[in-house]
Amino acid sequence: MTNQHPVLKAENINKRYGNQEILKGVSFELNRGDIKCLIGPSGSGKSTLLHCINFLVQFDEGRIWFNGSEVNYARKHDLYAYRQKIGMIFQDFNLFDHLTALRNVQVGLVRVRKMPKKEARNRALVELERVGLKDHVMKYPAELSGGQKQRVSIARALAMDPEVMLLDEPTSALDPELIGEVHSVIQDLARGGMTMMLVTHEIGFAGSLAKEFLFMDEGVILEQGPPERILSNAECDRTREFCAKINQLHRGSG
Amino acid sequence: MSSSQGLTAILEGLPYILPGIGVTMTVVGGALSMGLLLGLFLSVLHVYGNRPTRRLVGIYVWFFRGIPLLVLLFLFYFGILASLQIELSPFLVSIIVLGLISSAYQSQIIRGAILSLPEGQLKAARAIGMSDRKAIAFIVLPQALRLAIPGWTNEYTIIMKDSAVTYALGVAEIMARCNHVASRTYQHLWVYLLAGFLFLALTYVGTEVFRIVEEKVRIKGYARQEGQW
Repeated sequence: MTNQHPVLKAENINKRYGNQEILKGVSFELNRGDIKCLIGPSGSGKSTLLHCINFLVQFDEGRIWFNGSEVNYARKHDLYAYRQKIGMIFQDFNLFDHLTALRNVQVGLVRVRKMPKKEARNRALVELERVGLKDHVMKYPAELSGGQKQRVSIARALAMDPEVMLLDEPTSALDPELIGEVHSVIQDLARGGMTMMLVTHEIGFAGSLAKEFLFMDEGVILEQGPPERILSNAECDRTREFCAKINQLHRGSG
Repeated sequence: MSSSQGLTAILEGLPYILPGIGVTMTVVGGALSMGLLLGLFLSVLHVYGNRPTRRLVGIYVWFFRGIPLLVLLFLFYFGILASLQIELSPFLVSIIVLGLISSAYQSQIIRGAILSLPEGQLKAARAIGMSDRKAIAFIVLPQALRLAIPGWTNEYTIIMKDSAVTYALGVAEIMARCNHVASRTYQHLWVYLLAGFLFLALTYVGTEVFRIVEEKVRIKGYARQEGQW
């Protein structure tokens, strides 16, 4: 049954802030195991789109289906259940500052899934070990490096057993030397078959991971296709222009 | 007027004056606790409530911050309660009125603390499927209450000093008792010095307690702001 439907389908998402149209009728589908990467200039609506997918930003028009059934966000219970299945990774981590790494991961299990504390603790430990943080579980966010914080936030999302992960520029707030550790965790997820939608400017990394690039500009998906084609042989002028700059930058930095 | 007479007055008055400390502390403790419970509730409504709710909280805060304590005490005790024929002791009325005033101030202390938290944490809590109610209870407030401690320390000292006004209703706190002793012995200088000293001591002890609590609940890894330079 679930195999016949895309895991996630968004149709005609519109979002306005005042007079400004941020998203102008964006549609896409994610099938199980798909990894798609949203690229495009700043302010093109990539991040807003990710936030709309799990209703962290309320959009004005549009519909979203999860495993074939439409998400009715007005029913709080459905919304909360849906959000658990959509893991979200933020640019600036958004860890809970008053909780240790362990309790950051545990809190959702205990408070949302009502798991007994001990069981939740064990599950949290498993997830933290999976992202390579076994030795840091008792540290508070302020005692962790940026890369470690981002890995805790990935563990926190994974603990809820998500079927899709949304990653909003997961490494853009990190020191260059910490990017690798987060990339390798994301690669592990990809190898494990996780369905993902990724916003990033790390084109090289994204190209090695994603099956498809979606190029966004001014609130619309202008073009989509395999990374190689989008990067080197795009149809739209706007896409080519953007990708030429990206390619240049990429070569320049080696 | 010699100082030995003053000291004698104080020494003889002490057994009568000292129990006033307990009364003062009970009034202050009661008002602060009541103010915390109400203020917590009001602050959440003020930050997360809809427009009419926020407006109502605003009016409440304006009312209790804008009328002098003495006026409110008389209004409640001789005005409202008397006309409703409700009999409450001056002691209780003092706690309630001070508590209501404090709740207005505390709601703003906590509101400021909530607003100073990074917004992203609420988003992250929602993203793992938490309801707003749970996110506020388990993520926002535990941090906001920590940030509110310096403001509370201030609020404690203010309520402590304000509590002296309740003597006007006849509450047998420090000021009322010192007043009795002074008018009986005519040693006003010495007795009021004693009253001042007692309040200073209570303020000192209280702020120290708050300081220790602040240190105890401090989140690890966050540097204390003072003494960093």
